[in-house]
Amino acid sequence: MKIGALTTIADLEKQNDNSVWCRVLNNVAEKFGSPNIRSVATVGGNICAASSSEDLIPVFLTLDANVKTIRRNGTREQPLRNFIVSKRKTALSDGEILAEVSFLEPNARAACSFQKLGMRNILIIAVVSVAAFLETDATNSTIASARIALNRLRGKVPERAENVEKELVDQKLDKSNIDRAAEVLGDDLLLTSDFRASAKYRSEAVKVLLRRALVECQQATLKK
Amino acid sequence: MSETELVHKLQEAEGLAIVGKRIQRLDALGKVLGLPLYTSDIAPKDALRLKVVRSTVPHALIKRIDTAPAKRIPGVSAVLTAEDIPGINEAYSLLPDRPLLASTKVRCQGEAIAVVAASDYQTAQDGADNVLVEYERLPAILSPVEALKPDSIRVHDSGNVAKYLKVRKGDVKEGFRQADLVIENTYETQFQDTAALEPEVGMAWLEKDGSVTCVGSMQTPFYVQAGVAKVMGLSPDKVRVIQATTGGAFGPKSDEMPIDTCALSALVAQKTGKSAILAYTRDESMIAHTKRHPFVITLKTGAKHDGRLTASEALLVSDTGAYASLGPLVIIRACFHATGPYAIPHVKTDAYCMYTNNTMAGSFRGFGSPQVHFAAECQMDELAKKLDMDPLDLRLKNILRPGTLTATSQLVDEACGLEECAKRAAEASNWRAKRQEFGRDRGSFRRGIGVALMYHGNSLGPEGSDYAAVHVLIKPDARVVVRTALTEYGTGATSGLAQIVAETLGLPISLFELGGADTVSCQETGPTVASRVIVIGGRAAQLAATKLKEKILTVGGELLRCDRSKLMIRDGLVGHSDDPRQSITYETVVEECYKKHVSLIETGFYSAPKCEFDPENSQGTTYQQYTYGAVVAEVEVDTELGVVKPLKITAAYDVGKAINPLSLEGQIEGGTIQALGYGLMEQLVHVDGVVANPTLGDYYIPTSLDIPEIQTIIIEYPGAVGPFGAKAMGEPPVDLPAAALANAVAHATESRVFSIPLTAEKVLFAMRQRQR
Amino acid sequence: MAKHLVKFNVNGKDHALVVESAERLLDVLRDRLDLKGVKEGCGTGDCGACTVIMDGQLVNSCLLLAVQARDKRIITIEGIGTREKLHPVQKAIMKHNAAQCGFCIPAMVLAGKNLLDHNSAPSRDDIKEAISGVLCRCTGYYKLIDAVQEAAREIREDKG
Repeated sequence: MKIGALTTIADLEKQNDNSVWCRVLNNVAEKFGSPNIRSVATVGGNICAASSSEDLIPVFLTLDANVKTIRRNGTREQPLRNFIVSKRKTALSDGEILAEVSFLEPNARAACSFQKLGMRNILIIAVVSVAAFLETDATNSTIASARIALNRLRGKVPERAENVEKELVDQKLDKSNIDRAAEVLGDDLLLTSDFRASAKYRSEAVKVLLRRALVECQQATLKK
Repeated sequence: MSETELVHKLQEAEGLAIVGKRIQRLDALGKVLGLPLYTSDIAPKDALRLKVVRSTVPHALIKRIDTAPAKRIPGVSAVLTAEDIPGINEAYSLLPDRPLLASTKVRCQGEAIAVVAASDYQTAQDGADNVLVEYERLPAILSPVEALKPDSIRVHDSGNVAKYLKVRKGDVKEGFRQADLVIENTYETQFQDTAALEPEVGMAWLEKDGSVTCVGSMQTPFYVQAGVAKVMGLSPDKVRVIQATTGGAFGPKSDEMPIDTCALSALVAQKTGKSAILAYTRDESMIAHTKRHPFVITLKTGAKHDGRLTASEALLVSDTGAYASLGPLVIIRACFHATGPYAIPHVKTDAYCMYTNNTMAGSFRGFGSPQVHFAAECQMDELAKKLDMDPLDLRLKNILRPGTLTATSQLVDEACGLEECAKRAAEASNWRAKRQEFGRDRGSFRRGIGVALMYHGNSLGPEGSDYAAVHVLIKPDARVVVRTALTEYGTGATSGLAQIVAETLGLPISLFELGGADTVSCQETGPTVASRVIVIGGRAAQLAATKLKEKILTVGGELLRCDRSKLMIRDGLVGHSDDPRQSITYETVVEECYKKHVSLIETGFYSAPKCEFDPENSQGTTYQQYTYGAVVAEVEVDTELGVVKPLKITAAYDVGKAINPLSLEGQIEGGTIQALGYGLMEQLVHVDGVVANPTLGDYYIPTSLDIPEIQTIIIEYPGAVGPFGAKAMGEPPVDLPAAALANAVAHATESRVFSIPLTAEKVLFAMRQRQR
Repeated sequence: MAKHLVKFNVNGKDHALVVESAERLLDVLRDRLDLKGVKEGCGTGDCGACTVIMDGQLVNSCLLLAVQARDKRIITIEGIGTREKLHPVQKAIMKHNAAQCGFCIPAMVLAGKNLLDHNSAPSRDDIKEAISGVLCRCTGYYKLIDAVQEAAREIREDKG
């Protein structure tokens, strides 16, 4: 799957197909900014802004996305996780632009979820957000692969929570494993306080969001 | 019976044709068409654009201001500092504590130090960026409670107490002795920003005769006139101030900011000979203008086992920031209402309005009442919990009723609909059943229902002389113009004045227009604050209309050759009340008036009776009439995250008389949502005296997706003063929702957050704490 | 600063303007085309007072550079209704006294009209969603929602 950098969030909202990746992007788009902002905000803009406020980054991280960039002497492709260097800093060099985001289309046994917490219902910068991608095995009961990303884990940009992922792989997708995943996440967190919320609250809230994301994946899986 | 009383009673007797009806307001057409009405829309194209250099630190001496680099920038027309002020460098509301332009010291972030003028905003901003200010930082005092300490850092030489007052009724020691149960809690409220959609803006130019004309977004043109005249060293009659259509106000546009925008523009206009406009950016507005006072309120309440309150002791400390603004009056209202709407025999309240180096607090809809009602109403619920009583029952046992005394020992008169408000709100919200049903919720989403009651002393009361002037003119085409310096900024109150005049004159509302607020064509009329346009302005409007009606009927009587006392105006006709054949059109009478040179312009002036009370202990009549209300809030709390979702607000108000129920609903709905923001999501945060979130992206006001279901109930117990018995209803709708929401959340979570806003974090940790 | 020739259509009329790179669409509309109905409430895309309809979508004109309007069709409040014939949304706002201070009203009218152009029978939730990018501090939104609902009814009745 390829998504052009100039795709607007409104385009993502309108995209209408039943695939798991489309539905999670619909979901992100519905909660994104306001209708006025969705009309002009773009996938490329959101990624290049490179901060914990950019909702698409955690989701694309869980889709294991690559980004393609163009410069005068050609193109290059790299994983999104390498492209985001630090807060407001990407791997773009002078005269280079982001052209496209791409990812392998998830198979039928995949489930995605995006959970976001803010201080009102719309037009918010996420206090915490969690994106989850799970793929179950052929029997539909064990997790074959797990990709979890938070808007902030230990730094100021979205990151994959690899310890949580390791904890989930080859486990059954059930309540006790979901609870344990949240505990493992708790050990991994290094969050900061600001006027929106304290580190302590963010740590509590993000564990709840992780649980809810995994439960949503679990419910989607059970329906298949 | 005096003339004013006669008018009042006459209106009550007859059936009403226009007052009480859901009529379209008169000023909507221009707004829906998007006509150029606001100050920035009508600015002269070649007006100089101004930018203000503001302090970046909360407390410092100014060692040096160097404007030379700014002046060198091409396109910069002027750079002015305090030295350039021809008159007096002062711009304050009450206490003479604030300069227009700081020169030796700054006491908060955002203080104006210099103003730069250029032909476009970018150049003006470049100029402002190049004015060099050298500070010697001073330690800052940022807590109003700390500011009370005798050895605290001083914001002003006179000390940190801007105002202190007390209420003493009975003997609280005795009251607590009589109590079976005493509880004490401390409550805190936050800085709230008005977030009016139009930021502050003012402009000015010189007239040929050397006088100054100012146009701006404001509530009180005559305050601006006095302020500009003082700064310019002119007599007030040389300063004309016109209120442009104003995009929301809520209080701050009656405080210092409109003086600042117009006076700085006038200074530049005088210096350069050109017109000048100063339009604040949003962050500038949020830093510089006045906000709602944060309060720290300690309440100690005593009650008997059966729920009867015996004593209330309160300590109120408000943070007015670096300059007092209207803080000394906010603290008075807060002090007098601190008990909530209950008849308590022994009351001791001490109230302090404190200076700090935070940004300024001043007027904001509610004016101290939302803060004290939050504390008082949470306290009632805490008491109810300890007494194992239903919170509504506890309140009904103690509420003010006719014949009881307020905390200031004012006798409550028959115009007290508080009980009916409480009962109807409870009934409409299905209070008792939901209290049980929600209390049984288990699982991670739990609902709660909470109640809060209030009283709100009308108009200025103890705050000052309470008068108004309204002019009514019948033009040759027989259309009627209602003109006053009482301003419209969204409330619809001036359309209400037109309705009152239409009712008095017996004319259809379609004939009516609103004139503008302009100091040359309107009599000085006091401020447009305290929800007094209808209550006080309405009485003045009635008087003007009555005088005009007299003239119409007299001339009509001459034309019809009949006794004037038998005539009335109805349905566009001047006619004999017994014989419908004896009538002529109202237009014919107007034509005749003009032929006979009978002047068809009248001014009504009304001054409310003075409130008589002993200022030492604040005992006596503190307000001429009271608005009462009850709000029930229903919420759903996500107990894993602490997120509060408001489900429904049921609001019942005793409004005396609803002049226009449609507009009144708009005021109630708008005030409810503004207060919902206050209770759940709004906080202007200072970090080390610097505002951390001066943007609408970081300061959250409710959006259309945040609103709950709402049900409004209007009850009428006519007040003693207002026209047709109308009571103040601009502010009261913001008094209670935060308190009711707090009580609903407490019900849902079985724990208490003692401050607002009720952020998810506070709610979650209060629950966790209770579990320990 | 570089200059660009930009052609676009506003309220049915074609314009060709030379704009600077950093010039905002909001300022071009207000100051160069004299369309004062487009308001500046915050300049940061948070309040929606600067809303215009661009190629059928609501946008915050304070967040767009003038060059981004190249070849677009823009509608502002000045392009909606006249004194003699108001758009149903304008009429309904007046009927419900839904305009208080009025500063958000041009944006609200555009948001309501744009919704009704795409959805002739919106639910209250649809309306809340459509206006969610425009902040109002005076009304609490209730009567604005009532007004759009009534306008929807009127439009359906006129067509049906």
